[in-house]
Amino acid sequence: MRATNGVNMRVGMALLDRARASGARSIVVIGTGKNVGKTVAVRAIAQAAHARGLRLGLTSTGRDGEGVDIVDAMPKPRLFLRAGDVLATARGSLPDAPATEVLDVSKLATAAGSVAFVRVRADACYEIVGPPTAAGVRSCIDRFFDFGCELAIVDGAVDRVAVLAGGDDAVVVATGAADASTLDEAVADVQALVRRLSVPAYDAREPFVRIDGALTPTLARALAQARDQRQIVVMDPTQIAITGHTFLGVNERLRLRCERPLRVVAVTAASIGRERYFEPHAFARAVAEATGLPVYDVYAASAAA
Amino acid sequence: MKFERIVDAATAAALRLDWFRDHLAPVSVYGERVFAAIEPFAPQARLAAQASAHRIAALASAFDDALIDAVRDVLRTTPDALAAIARASMGDHLSDVHLLELMRFADAVARIDAICAGVAGIEPMAGDALREVARALERGRTGTSGFYLADDFDDGLARARVALAGAQAEYDAASGRCVAEIMGALHRDDLPEDEFIVMRADVPGALPQGVRVVRETPTYWLCAIELDDAARAALERRDAATAAHANAEERVRAQLSAQVREHADALEALASALGERDVLVAQVRFARLQRCCAPEVVADTSIDAEGARFSPLEAALAREGRAYTPIALRLDDVAVLTGPNMGGKSVCLQTCGALAVLASFGLPVPAQRARVGIFESIAWLGVGGDGEVGGLLSSFAREVVRLRDLLDRSSERSLLLVDEFARTTTPYEGKALLIGLIERLRERRVRALIATHLDGIARASGAVHYAVRGLRGVLQKAPSGNLADALATLAASMDYSVQVVGSEEIPHTDAIALASLLGLDDRLIDAARNALT
Repeated sequence: MRATNGVNMRVGMALLDRARASGARSIVVIGTGKNVGKTVAVRAIAQAAHARGLRLGLTSTGRDGEGVDIVDAMPKPRLFLRAGDVLATARGSLPDAPATEVLDVSKLATAAGSVAFVRVRADACYEIVGPPTAAGVRSCIDRFFDFGCELAIVDGAVDRVAVLAGGDDAVVVATGAADASTLDEAVADVQALVRRLSVPAYDAREPFVRIDGALTPTLARALAQARDQRQIVVMDPTQIAITGHTFLGVNERLRLRCERPLRVVAVTAASIGRERYFEPHAFARAVAEATGLPVYDVYAASAAA
Repeated sequence: MKFERIVDAATAAALRLDWFRDHLAPVSVYGERVFAAIEPFAPQARLAAQASAHRIAALASAFDDALIDAVRDVLRTTPDALAAIARASMGDHLSDVHLLELMRFADAVARIDAICAGVAGIEPMAGDALREVARALERGRTGTSGFYLADDFDDGLARARVALAGAQAEYDAASGRCVAEIMGALHRDDLPEDEFIVMRADVPGALPQGVRVVRETPTYWLCAIELDDAARAALERRDAATAAHANAEERVRAQLSAQVREHADALEALASALGERDVLVAQVRFARLQRCCAPEVVADTSIDAEGARFSPLEAALAREGRAYTPIALRLDDVAVLTGPNMGGKSVCLQTCGALAVLASFGLPVPAQRARVGIFESIAWLGVGGDGEVGGLLSSFAREVVRLRDLLDRSSERSLLLVDEFARTTTPYEGKALLIGLIERLRERRVRALIATHLDGIARASGAVHYAVRGLRGVLQKAPSGNLADALATLAASMDYSVQVVGSEEIPHTDAIALASLLGLDDRLIDAARNALT
């Protein structure tokens, strides 16, 4: 038998199934911060997709899959890909060996050169440096399907949620011990992110006020002070430029709604951080209670709902 | 195109040269390089300029729109291979992305040659060097336009891949045995290869052999699998096979890179030729769309055109379904142009300027017939050519300072387009300044067209006097009162053509009727009419 390359197949299958059950052809994994198991979650989903025989397209909103973190030089989880997978990655990030099949070179620029579309010919670990812009990532997703992919996976970032705008992706939120001092803080962070991304669709039969562009803290404060009881409607949740505890407060006081809701389908919890750890089961349970979503621990192979 | 060689920024803005640049722009990176370096022709090279314009105009007849679109579609998607050529020429090994770019570059040249085959005046670009490189790369083609270092390139590469696959299978089996034993010992049906959590409560005794503890906590261990000796040996063999495979791939890249290096000069020249073809096709397209003619480029500095049009305005009017009135004009000295407001005086100046600029770059011009000299500088003075608003100088002062600078720079090969100079001072002194300007321009043998509302300038200076024909009959107020309707009414009533005025008659400016049409208060209009009578 062959080893499963550092991913938990059961968790991957569960995430994949939830995403596909929502009707999405693409999955974007967004982390609450660095080193919260985002790439491990991507690997898990990719592994499950391989097991299901799906042709896969992968890209990133930054740099992922590198051996060591370029910021702190610590080891990072590698992105193991199978022959047939299609990558959208900066040409400068492609390995000399094994050779990949180059399908196209785009005009999307990154610090490591323009983004190339390549098909993996040999199973190996690959680094992905995707386009830095939301529009660039969306165009990569479209191209994946042109190249015959059946599922697109994007290794996203919390500060790049704009990538979700205009798509019909399933969203998986990754959280972990590395991103917070305490379990409660980690839970509150992921709760705020999930609630923000899960703002529901507005009801056109009820009074509403449409916000052109972003809902900023200043605007939200003015609406809250005016005790506006109408639905506050943004185009999609990525237009809410309020995060963390501030968002939770605003969400209590205003009826936030959107025209194009996103599909947040699950949360992954990495109970292990570099400097701290949380008890895996307690962490998963707390995140599940706070978000109302199924939670999967990609290290402990456990689930909470 | 280096418009800045003959016009300054203010003149470029007044002549809408950005519009011309956009409509003459090529679509490929190769074309962009050539386009950015295009210089105007020097007066001594007027025959070359004329030949260039004639060639483009002839090709505009030989090409059709579908052919132009087909060439541009190919060019638009052709990646830039110049970096690959440069790297290879310096002895670098090219990456697979570079090799794909070279393959597509070769494809593009071949396709454009095929599309243009049979068009008179267009020679094929591909030569032996390109064909040889294309043949070498062809073995890597996947699908229609992908590239892969396929086994076909080299027997050694094929053997290395077989060896790697064998070594990988051996390692997978050995490491799989380790994983299976640990899964059995932990009673787990799923186990990651690297780090994983084992809850202390799930393991009553010690962790099984082959499990390494990475970190301990009170409730669980973070673990990793430790391979046994057989698996480690298999891993070493796999790593050796991986290195041999990498070497074999790099050997193929080195061979292909050497072939590119051998033909680097020819390929670089071909990249330039492709850029020139892109620019040429863009010029041909412009000539077709703007219904241009090849001007006769004359030795002196004159402009003589019939059916001349100012393309940016013509295009804007066409979008609104409105017709454009071409003009005929001859300028071989200093001429005065008068006419009603919104009668097209400024457009007449813009038309002259655009004809002169295009001819200087060896391009066909939007006219039925044209004879144009090559100007070394073309300048605009007046409305639309003054970017600064406010500041320390008044409108009049700014105009004067600009005129002073333009006169300092002017020569016998200058064209000056003057749009209502001195309109902001008293008509009495404005007229005097204009008469003085004409005299000075004549002394310096500068060609100039001077649009003005002031009367008596041409008679006093002895300059040729052109006038816009103006309104046909009485201007009726648009019934709806909206601006679009008012403009349509105006266009229907206005004759925009220009004619030489034999006597110094004052053209009717119709300013009050125009103000009324544009919706100015009726009582104000009546008061103005009363004041006039």
